[in-house]
This record gives sequence, C-alpha cells and structure tokens, in this order.
Amino acid sequence: MNILYYPQVKPKKKLIKRIYIAIMLWIVGRAIQAASKVDSDVKDEFAKLNNNFCLKMWIWPNGPAMYVGKTNNGRVKYLGWKDKGYKPTLTMTIKNIEAAMLLFTFRESTAIATARNRLVVDGDLPDACAFVRILNIVEVYLLPKIIAKLAVKRYPKWSQMAPSRKHFGRIVIYVRAFTF
Amino acid sequence: MKRGAIMQLPAYYEFCNTVKTIVGHKALEQIPQSLKVINAQRPMIITDKGVEQAGLIKIVQAAMQKSKLKAAAIYDTVPPDSEIKMVNELAKMYTSKKCDSIIAVGGGSVLDTAKGVNIIVSENASDLMQFAGYGNVKRKLKPLVAVPTTAGTGSEVTSVAVIANHEKNIKMIFGSAFLLPDIAIIDSRMTKTLPPTITAFTGMDALTHAVEAYFCLAKNPLSDTTALAAIQIIAQNLVNVVKKPSDTDGRLALALASNLAGMAFANSMVGMIHNIGHAVGGVCGVPHGVCMNILLPYGLEYNMHKASQYIGELLYPLAGDEVYNATKKKERPQKTVEYIRNLIQDLHDATDGKHPRFFKEVVDKTGKQMVPKEKLVDIAKTAMSDPAQFYNPEDLDYNDYMMVLEAAWEGTPLDKKKIKKG
Repeated sequence: MNILYYPQVKPKKKLIKRIYIAIMLWIVGRAIQAASKVDSDVKDEFAKLNNNFCLKMWIWPNGPAMYVGKTNNGRVKYLGWKDKGYKPTLTMTIKNIEAAMLLFTFRESTAIATARNRLVVDGDLPDACAFVRILNIVEVYLLPKIIAKLAVKRYPKWSQMAPSRKHFGRIVIYVRAFTF
Repeated sequence: MKRGAIMQLPAYYEFCNTVKTIVGHKALEQIPQSLKVINAQRPMIITDKGVEQAGLIKIVQAAMQKSKLKAAAIYDTVPPDSEIKMVNELAKMYTSKKCDSIIAVGGGSVLDTAKGVNIIVSENASDLMQFAGYGNVKRKLKPLVAVPTTAGTGSEVTSVAVIANHEKNIKMIFGSAFLLPDIAIIDSRMTKTLPPTITAFTGMDALTHAVEAYFCLAKNPLSDTTALAAIQIIAQNLVNVVKKPSDTDGRLALALASNLAGMAFANSMVGMIHNIGHAVGGVCGVPHGVCMNILLPYGLEYNMHKASQYIGELLYPLAGDEVYNATKKKERPQKTVEYIRNLIQDLHDATDGKHPRFFKEVVDKTGKQMVPKEKLVDIAKTAMSDPAQFYNPEDLDYNDYMMVLEAAWEGTPLDKKKIKKG
C-alpha cells in the first residue's frame, strides 16, 4: 500500500460537547459574578485575591474558555469566553473535552478530576485553593442537592448554610446570572 | 468460593517513576560508573553542615576519586528548610563554576534545594518563583544524582520540591516529572550516623507518605503496592533501629521503605496531614517529619468516615496477619489509629521522651516551645492555601483546621461528633 495515497482521517470536532461545555462555562462564569455580590463567603474569598486577579478556565487545545476577573475597584466580573488580551493570573486547563464532560456532567467532582490529573493549574496555588472553594459554593447554589453532592466533597449541612440563605441566594444568583 | 473484598480500581490513573535506584550497603561505590552513564564530569555537590560534619561527603568523594572524578563545587551549608533566596544564589555558583550536573547528598531540604537549583540552571532563569506550581517545568533538566542521608522524605524518587518563601511565610510547591532525579543511590552508610530522634521522625515521615498515598483520592493500584510494602518495612524496623542505631540491615530497610513511600506519594499525592504539616513548618519552623508524626493519627481519624475501608486495610502491613485476622472488619480502622498512636508512644519511650507526641511537646534546641497555642490561628489560615487539601477525601474549612490543630496541640483524640460529614 502506498501511504502517500492513504486517506487522511480528520478527527470529529465533538461540536455538541463543545457547545454544552461552552454553555456550562457561561453559566458558571455569570454565577460566580452574581455570587460575589450575594454570598458573604464568596465575597470574602474574592476580597483576599489581588485586584489584578484574572482566571482563565479552558479546555485544551482550542477551548471553549471562561474568563473571570477582578476590576480595579475590586468588583468581580465575568469577562466572557473570548481572549481580549487578558493576562490571566491563574489558568486552569482541562486536558481534553472528554475530561471536561466528566466534570461538567458531574460524573467527576473537582477533587476527583484534580486527583486524576485532568486539570493543570498555572499560577499562584493559594489563589487556586481559593477559587476551588468559590467554585464549590457556586455549585451548591446552582445545582439541586442530589447533583451538587456529586460535584463537591462535602455538601454543607444546615448548620453551615441555612436553608433560607441557600434558597434565597439561589434565586438571586439565578436572576442575576441570566438578567444583568 | 469466598474471594474477599473486591479491589476497587479507579477509572483513570497515572504512574511515573524514571529514577534508576541503586540500593545496597556499599551502593555508593557505583557512583563513578553512574556519573559516566549520565555524562556528568563537573558535578556540584550540594549538602548541609550536619552531613559534612558526619563525614558522609568524604565517603562520596572517596568513591568518586576511584575514577579520578572531582566535584567542581561543593556547597555544604543548606539550612534545615530549603529557601528560595538561597536556591537562587546556589544557581549562580553552579554557573560560575561551570558545573554540568548536581549530586545532592542530604535529607529532604538538600534534595529539594538541588531540584530548585536544577530548575534555574537548566531553564536559564533568574528567579525560581516563576516555576512554582505543577507542570511549569517543561524540559529535561541537568543530570541530578540523589544520595539520601535520611530515611524519610523519599525526595530521591519524587517529582516535587517544597521550598520556603520566608517573605510570604509559605512553602512553595514545585511539581513536574522533570524534577525526578536521574539516579538515586541508597547506601546504608549514609543513614548509619543519624541520631535516634531524627531516625524516629524521618521514619514517621515515610510512614505518613505511604499511609496518605494509600487512603487519599489519587490512590491507584501501582502506588498501593509500593505504599503497602513501605508500611510493612517501617512497622517491622523503625523502633528496632531507633533502639539499636548500628543495625545496618535495619537502616538499609528503612531507607528502602522511604524510597518506596516516596514512589507511592509522588504518584498518588498526599492529603490533609501534609497540608497542615506544611503550614506548621511554614509558620513555626517545626521540622517536617515531626509534624507528620504528630498529625498522622489525626488525619486518619478525620477521614475515617470517608476512607474506613482503606484505613482498615492498613492494619495488615502495620500489625501483621495475626492481629489483622483477629480484629473484626469494622474495628480495623480504629485499630489502625491505635496502632499508630502506640508506635508514636514507643518511639517517645525509645528516645527518652525526645520524640514529641503532640505540638505542645515540640521544643527547639533552647527548650523553647516551637508551636505556641496562639499561633494555631495563623497555621489554620496558612493551611487553607495549601493544595494538598485537594487530595484529601474529606473537605476542610477554617474551623476544621482549628479543630484538628487544637487536638493535635493538646494530644487528645478528635471528637468524632465534631467532624462534619456531608
């Protein structure tokens, strides 16, 4: 067989999965921005980060991506999915789209994904620790308990997060994420 | 036919160990040949004062001289905690002396320092800080030979270096497969002069590596095998060697166990025991092995509800088949913790009380308490920034860190009712 005439097989682009991940990143990004105004723990975590904090969470090699950053006045903002010349201080790279699907369909928690080396973190590790805590809180707000329990290591009990705080926060975060 | 518990295999895991390991009573005699293989002609020896004063560098040099090989530079004043500024300075020395490789002779801080220097000189960088974190070293580094002189850190087979940043009061972690040394030489002569107290807490450090590798989230079948072997060897030899330091077979066994435990945790990482231990070391300057020794039973107690099966399985390599078989399955996890507490007590007795059992017993050379209770708040805050928490089965918040630290300071077991379960 002449290999010069061997047909080149182009990999499929997994378009549906990419669209799903892009939507999830958009929701999570918007929800982080909303939670930073609603939840005191998220506020505190962001307050400890530098004002130049900029997170890029993306799927290697071509995205999709999510940028979340702090503005000069300390406000937290979802910056979108396009690279507009941001300088991320923390980059969380998910190694492939299948790993991202496991994470965003909650078949693998953030902790298990980290343990299985599906994420590469580039930047200050204390910032990464803070961001994972923020992500956990946001997931508790966004997801029903039965799913959130798969996504976080320890689902907060009543004593840690009162139902009134959780349900009120959930409504406000959803409204803010999808409207403002 | 009853087949026992089914081994749970993770859906995905990674394991890497590229280090050529040479083990034996006179293994260092292999050093000229080993250096030749990796094309090292002008090695820089990095060590600390204790190693130099114990005459261990002379053994290395004598072995090298048999092939007329000389060190191009020797630095023998690495402090007990490797520090970022010193690493940057050592890299300048490496370049000015035109060295082409590194021989690290020492404990964890020396090996970590050597890895830090190797990053800078191989990457032609000026500051180590830019490589902090995991995966930021992306190319093959200069040849590195590791000769451990303690049986604890396992640094000779790990792809991680922990280096202190005194300005920020934290310990920086550098992780990359390229940090693995090319060769590790384990020679019983290197640990023979280790005082009983250091033997005790470095042995407990190795035990902690193996135990955390076995029950934390990144455990896998390959790291499990080395972890279990390490635990068994330590359980069988540590107290004996502390009581009889001249036991060279026991010394070699412990050095091997440290190597096996290092191989295990390099691939399955560590959890809250290291997480809190790094913070105690960073804030109060307590030696790493001492922290591990004190925190080990607390890490097991805290994670008992999430990892009881794995913690129960540890009883077998720790206590042997008779104790394991005589203990009911549901009682094994607690028995494992009891066994480790008894081991700590045995080491305390064997060292005439010098081996600390809890943080309030830890004192410096002048007898001053190293972990004042009011420092626990700072330690808990620092611990929240350490990524080892990711691999711990149970989550930890500030209050959890404080609960564990207060119990470990007083020496009281954890109150299980206070452990939050999701």
